Amino acid sequence: MASKAEAVSKKQIDVANLPGPTQRVEAIKERFIKTTPEICVERAQLITASYKVTEDLPIHIRRAKAFEKILSEMTIFIADDELVVGNQCTKPRSAPVYPEFSCKWLEAELDRLEKRTGDVFLISEDKKKILRDLFPYWDKKTSNELATSLMTPDALAAQGAGVFTVGNYYFNGVGHISVDYAKVLAKGLNGVIDEAKAELAKIDLTDPDDLKKMHFLDAVITSNEAVIAFARRFAVEAEKLAASEKSAQRKAELAEIARICRKVPAQPAESFGEAIQSFWFIQLVLQLESNGHSISPMRFDQYMYPYLEMDTSITTEKAQELLDLLYIKFSEINKVRDEGSTKAFGGYPMFQNLIVGGVDREGEDATNDLSFMCLQATANTKLYQPSISIRVHSNTPAELYKKAAEVSRLGLGMPAYYNDRFIIPALLSRGLTREDARDYGIIGCVEPQVAGKTEGWHDAAFFNMAKVLELALNDGVDALTGKQLGPKTGDLASFNSFDDVMKAYKTQMKNFVKLLVISDNAVDIAHGQRTPLPFLSSLVDDCMAKGKSLQEGGAHYNFTGPQGVGVGNVGDSLTAIKKLVFEDKAITLAELKKGLESDFAGVEMESMRQMLQNRAPKYGNDNEYADLIAHEGALIYCREVEKYTNPRGGRFQPGLYPVSANVPLGTVVGATPDGRKSGKALADGVSPVSGVDQAGPTASVKSVARLDHVIASNGTLLNMKFHPNALKDDRGIQNLVGVTETFFNGGGTHIQYNVIGRDTLLDAQKHPDNYQGMVVRVAGYSAFFTSLDKAIQDDIIARTEQMF
Amino acid sequence: MSWTHEYLLYDPDAQKRRELTGLVSDFQRFSIHDGPGIRTIVFLKGCPLHCAWCANPETISPRPEIMLIPHNCIGCRKCIEVCPSGCFGEADGIVNSIDRDMCLLPECGKCQRVCYANAVNISGRYLTVAEVMDVVLLDREFYDRTGGGITFSGGEPFAQPAFLKELAQTAKVLKLHTAVETCGHVSWNVFSSVLDYLDIVLYDLKHMDPDRHLQGTGVGNHLILENVRRVAASGKPIRIRLPLIPGFNDSEENIRATAEFIAGFSSLEALDILPYHRMGEPKWGQLHQDYKLHGVAPHGRERVFELADIARAYGIEVTVGG
Repeated sequence: MASKAEAVSKKQIDVANLPGPTQRVEAIKERFIKTTPEICVERAQLITASYKVTEDLPIHIRRAKAFEKILSEMTIFIADDELVVGNQCTKPRSAPVYPEFSCKWLEAELDRLEKRTGDVFLISEDKKKILRDLFPYWDKKTSNELATSLMTPDALAAQGAGVFTVGNYYFNGVGHISVDYAKVLAKGLNGVIDEAKAELAKIDLTDPDDLKKMHFLDAVITSNEAVIAFARRFAVEAEKLAASEKSAQRKAELAEIARICRKVPAQPAESFGEAIQSFWFIQLVLQLESNGHSISPMRFDQYMYPYLEMDTSITTEKAQELLDLLYIKFSEINKVRDEGSTKAFGGYPMFQNLIVGGVDREGEDATNDLSFMCLQATANTKLYQPSISIRVHSNTPAELYKKAAEVSRLGLGMPAYYNDRFIIPALLSRGLTREDARDYGIIGCVEPQVAGKTEGWHDAAFFNMAKVLELALNDGVDALTGKQLGPKTGDLASFNSFDDVMKAYKTQMKNFVKLLVISDNAVDIAHGQRTPLPFLSSLVDDCMAKGKSLQEGGAHYNFTGPQGVGVGNVGDSLTAIKKLVFEDKAITLAELKKGLESDFAGVEMESMRQMLQNRAPKYGNDNEYADLIAHEGALIYCREVEKYTNPRGGRFQPGLYPVSANVPLGTVVGATPDGRKSGKALADGVSPVSGVDQAGPTASVKSVARLDHVIASNGTLLNMKFHPNALKDDRGIQNLVGVTETFFNGGGTHIQYNVIGRDTLLDAQKHPDNYQGMVVRVAGYSAFFTSLDKAIQDDIIARTEQMF
Repeated sequence: MSWTHEYLLYDPDAQKRRELTGLVSDFQRFSIHDGPGIRTIVFLKGCPLHCAWCANPETISPRPEIMLIPHNCIGCRKCIEVCPSGCFGEADGIVNSIDRDMCLLPECGKCQRVCYANAVNISGRYLTVAEVMDVVLLDREFYDRTGGGITFSGGEPFAQPAFLKELAQTAKVLKLHTAVETCGHVSWNVFSSVLDYLDIVLYDLKHMDPDRHLQGTGVGNHLILENVRRVAASGKPIRIRLPLIPGFNDSEENIRATAEFIAGFSSLEALDILPYHRMGEPKWGQLHQDYKLHGVAPHGRERVFELADIARAYGIEVTVGG
């Protein structure tokens, strides 16, 4: 038995034997899984009503007043047995509507929501009518419409042809942020309000900039007060329920909920339970203020641990249960996207990324008991939120690595593994201080940043590198439409050397990255003008000091991160040209041109396609020739992107990951010289082209490590898929760690594992009802397999199976 | 097929080099069930046994041979055009048969060079020890991190004794962990000459009854049992592997006999029961040979674990799947 002194000084938690899910957790999870997502119209009604009466006010004040109205009038509830409270909609898993960002697509797709193939939402005819009645008010008032008016015709044409899409922020809020949760826990929102008041006291209203600053700070105060009042509504609700509750135990629980909701997030948290509830209110209301996804808790094990450590009365079982219940809450948050976007973001993903482990600001290992409990909560709940991640460094404790690998083995596709050894230098190269770089977490899928001071705009675009190559091989003409889309860089048959091919690719790249930057900056400016977010801004440095919202450049660090998609296809295509045309002289450029134009029709062309596919080395097989060309193809994109600046005063930084956009982006790309036929999916992230990585996972991992992951500082993504048998015992765990470590030692920054057999997936396609709760890793996130579009399901199945 | 690009195409002249060469049918990187850690398996061609269930039938013959996959054929007829002996047959525009008596391998191999669709494949490459090691060393870091290494398999690796010995010696010079998978039907002189360079032996015992062994594999088990005793007596770590074939060696009696026989081996690590699977069946077709176990269903999981428990009763470590 531990001595009394020890028990007081430090909590005793046996991290090797953490408790499983309680009955309460199982019951609430069961209830959650059985809930079908619906559209909730309340938020849309409330914001429209508010906007109608605030048309004469400054934008920041309008935003704060609308936020206040939503929080004070929306339906709230406390469900049976809940201990962590706070709902986004009238029902769990429902999605609110955010007409201020865009609503024309929703108006057009209202009748499709129930019928579409993925991410279905139910909506009654009454509710459709409510929305149809309020949408006309928003005509020409959305951030989307302003952004369009700011773009140039050639930028719009490039988007139309699928060279890139800025769709996410073009139609929605930005999200992709991690706020200073530690500040809320330590000072409470009262502390934040005091901060705003102190700034207000400093300003000089004769300075025109300070006038704007005043409106912003007033909006901050209104918004923070609204959140405090929102929490108190739950206290009132709990008291009401307690009054009529028969069970003494539940009565006591409700009384405790009421006590906590009266205290936090207004005041500092003083126990683990208070900290959890305070955290949840913040996480929740950020997703009512805006529909930007990837609101990421990031280093939860770091800022929450002091509250667990100080809480001498809570048992490990209770703490674990609270954490498990919080995880279910994460999953209740939802968002409705347009049908096109569901193909790139399938499976109702919210990308709330929670990361454990890594080094602290001084460079020492930061692992604590809560790091283990966070992984355990994923094992206990087996849901797709939060997206759980682990940071790995040279001194990561073997026990934590093992715990992570055990969770990987469950087949949820989580955790994702991140490499401190290369991500920290990548962030240093983007101007972060040493301490901030060490303190990074992950936003959304794979994007590193430091919390509480960054507006990273990480999901700025998906850029179709394969389409750019197609244009380079077709004199700038879109192969699918015949339109001249890019500069004339010469007929394919006229090229005299491989250098000529690369030159054309670079010229097209330069042109389309420029158009990408124009498009992103137009969207960025529109958010600043129409949809600033005062509450979010109040929790990110240096917005208060600068008196500026995040959307106008208030953050300490500002970035814009567009993703290159199709690394494998570009690499393999260029390799095939270099090897088979210019070195082996087995194919002429004229023949290749004919093959690409005809989509390899006829036996002769099919024979050439087979040669392109099977007689040139391929990226992903540990072949330096092919790997270095893929490296160069990606680098040309990355170098072009990092030249540019955004309206918030920050830099563009490239990433190389597709979420699941590699499927829709493939549909607009004609035949490519890697033997890929027109319209087929592109390679996933930095993974090799599906099916060509025949030398197995060790070879794949070595190839992928050959890319420059440091320049792609907005994140790269490597999906590996294992048969469950490959990880079945302690040896399997050791092998998973061996693969991860070799990849990380070689220069990789992110890797994740899907551990589900092909047969299981095929069966799940046939009998979705039997697999309702089955979570798979799609790309940068996990989702219920059965809720994915069939094309994405097929892509997951097709990815080369790593046999046992 | 997992050939690195250098060895993608069959080269008839490769065997005529001055250096020692061996006939390798394939490599498998990231092997995790044939010895400890992450390993690379080198499959050597040629085997003295002829087992109906063999999952790698292309490794039985000690010569290179064509494996035909009509499913991949696109009907370009290039193989027919280059074949000097006219050994291909076609139906419905697809090449679907080959007269193996007319095939000129190990000379020639022209057909594979023009079959971009990989319908015509050749099993077997003549490689030097250095060439094998080039491939094996690609994954050195994985071996070092997981306690893995190189596993010689086949076929029967001891059927190419000189090549195997040099491979194993070289691997030990390179400080690689070495394992061999063997049927044990090899002269003790040959076996013992390589044993010093092996860290572990994975030894198949297919049946304890000599007659049944002869029926199932084409050879008796006298030499095999004698050798396994000698390996065990040498103190070399050993795992016994029992491919569990329905209706052949899956009786309780045979499991008991096997367990009893090996229970006294002091250096025994475990008995690995390898459940029968049908993944090799298509390859028999590609070689135009009958798969005699067609339609035989694998054991259910429960039966395999029951048999494993029976063996465990003899006080030995038993795994399913290795």
